[in-house]
Amino acid sequence: MELRSYIIRRLLFLIPVLFGVTIFIFGITMLFSPIERASLYVTDARQMTNIPQLIETYGLDQPFWVQYGNWISEVFSGNLGWSRVVGMPVGDAIWAFLPATLELSIFATPIIILMGIFLGTKAAAHKDRPLDHGTRVMAIFGWSLPTFWLGLILMMVFYGYFTGLLPPSRLSIPMELVVNSASFIRYTHINTIDAILNLKGAVFLDALRHLILPVITLSVTQVAFIMRLMRSSMLESLGKGYILTARAKGLSERVVVNKHARRNALIPVITVAGYVFAGMVNGVVITETIFTYKGLGWWAWQSAVRLDIASVLGFALFNSVLFVLVNLVVDILYTRVDPRVRLGGVMQ
Amino acid sequence: MGNLIRIRDLTVRFYTYEGVVHAIDDLDLDIRQGETLGIVGETGSGKTMTALAILRLIPYPGRIESGSIVFFDRDLHSEIELLKLSEDKMRSIRGNKISMVFQEPGAALNPVYTIGDQISEVFLLHQRRELGKRANKQVDRLLRDGDGLAASIKRPFWHWQKRLYNKIAQESNPFEPRFLSHVPLFRRLLWRLKNESKLLTVDMLKDVEIPDAARVAVHYPHELSGGMKQRAVIAMALACSPELLIADEPTTSLDVTIQAQMLELFRRIKVEKGASVLFITHNLGVASEVCDRVAVMYAGSLCEVASVEELFLHPSHPYTKALLDSVPMPGKELQTIPGALADPLNPPSGCRFHPRCPSATPVCQQEKAKLKEISKDHMVACHLF
Repeated sequence: MELRSYIIRRLLFLIPVLFGVTIFIFGITMLFSPIERASLYVTDARQMTNIPQLIETYGLDQPFWVQYGNWISEVFSGNLGWSRVVGMPVGDAIWAFLPATLELSIFATPIIILMGIFLGTKAAAHKDRPLDHGTRVMAIFGWSLPTFWLGLILMMVFYGYFTGLLPPSRLSIPMELVVNSASFIRYTHINTIDAILNLKGAVFLDALRHLILPVITLSVTQVAFIMRLMRSSMLESLGKGYILTARAKGLSERVVVNKHARRNALIPVITVAGYVFAGMVNGVVITETIFTYKGLGWWAWQSAVRLDIASVLGFALFNSVLFVLVNLVVDILYTRVDPRVRLGGVMQ
Repeated sequence: MGNLIRIRDLTVRFYTYEGVVHAIDDLDLDIRQGETLGIVGETGSGKTMTALAILRLIPYPGRIESGSIVFFDRDLHSEIELLKLSEDKMRSIRGNKISMVFQEPGAALNPVYTIGDQISEVFLLHQRRELGKRANKQVDRLLRDGDGLAASIKRPFWHWQKRLYNKIAQESNPFEPRFLSHVPLFRRLLWRLKNESKLLTVDMLKDVEIPDAARVAVHYPHELSGGMKQRAVIAMALACSPELLIADEPTTSLDVTIQAQMLELFRRIKVEKGASVLFITHNLGVASEVCDRVAVMYAGSLCEVASVEELFLHPSHPYTKALLDSVPMPGKELQTIPGALADPLNPPSGCRFHPRCPSATPVCQQEKAKLKEISKDHMVACHLF
């Protein structure tokens, strides 16, 4: 019961957050003059004369609050605007691009978190010994690698030398045809999951093959990050009194590290892991662009470049909802890991 | 009474960036069977390090440089050199034959596991045979009394469990249960071990006078008061009826009223369980109340060892005298020891105490005094004797 009321309270908290975020971003777009914004609707030099009329129609010279009010009332009626980049409504665009990004995140996040926790634990347990030095060097190396560079190098190797082994985009063309055929039901638009639900092994393997390179590119930096965090967190908890107690009980080093130290070290990692996941679902522009893997990141980037205000606002809205939700999940996870944490700070 | 622990020439050093820290220097100390030996001294005098050295848990970058610690095992009736033991053997002694209670009960308990979990861990680790026997009895009772449909379905599993528990009770590390404990679903066959350990845990908690023990067992440490936590820690240390209980300032972080209860508890434990206690404290009042003999430490070496009455009535070492003078008393002007505690990085030559000693002689600067018996059971390390 406590959990349910907590979730409701946190979801209500979404309302002010969304207002704040949209007012902020809408305010930034107001820095452009009405003429500049009207010119975005112009596709032809001859239409230049229509600008005053466009300003009139769309109310671009109205006060900020009126324009914001117009936009928000449209949002409440379910209309987020038109995304010119892909030529469809913003809401549809988000739903269209989300599955690709979600697929990437679903595969990358577990790898990042589990690898990070595992390596961080190992490094802390072997502090100042070769294994620790090795993983630390790897972490600094991975953390300093620019994503675009790593992506390009992987591409060079796998597109250049081992052509066809790990191809770009989401699916190869024959499989694309299978996926788009009438007998293949697209439940989620996440290819791997759909392939499993439709029992199409070939599609699953093909989708997986296309995922490998972007997932590796994404993981390298993030694993390094989580690993560093886990290591320092583990070292802190290994220095605590209860670790000495556990050793004095006669527990083996493996149990001391994996049972007594690790669970206490997980809290900061959970926080960051939540943001890593949210950050990925929000789109990983560079990775998606390099591997022509069209997801949310690619769409948001295109919209921003072309000053597609409706799309950018829609994306910001989606972003804030996602972050609030992830925060909520992270807070609930805290209570599972650490019994001292109570939801909403209410002591029982 | 023989010696339970015999420490000879124990030297512990820490290799830090600033230099070598001489934590313990050539320490000779005996703990007799059934006695409570107090170690008193200032902070940093090496009291805790002595205790950790007995358990071989000196933290990094410290090392036991030389010496010997001989432990007399009552069950095996033989002497064991702890410093030469393999890590596995040492683990079977820690928490089983020698256990330790730490200063800060709040820090000594893992905040994410229940009290019961943490105590039953000790039973599961050191008393598997006993648990196996108890579980076996449970299964026997079920096999004898069980009837009806459910029982006839469960009967094959009970037989299997009986075989497993029999193996656990008889062999030291049997293959079948060990293997099954790693297999999901099948590891549930061993649940009675856990259950028995929980029952023992509740008994243990009752033993240290925790009211409502069964409920406390499922509480997390942060839900208990300081005194309760300390009782739980003591219960954990006593779980396997150790031959030596090391208590490292167990009362320092507690209220005075709780302190008194704790001291009472320690006295009772000693009488009931027949364990020796190594009681580390910087509070001379506490030491006088619980200890049979007291050892005074200064800057990593031993100054004086004597029975409580002897030490408080006839203190011989200048440091012991100074220490007793600096105990606050009503109607008496508070004395302090001039100077500061010896720097462990660059300890003074000869006797560690000579720069602060009122009766230092030239020889004190050059030579360390050996422990000498000046009267029966009264040892002093000082050139004056």
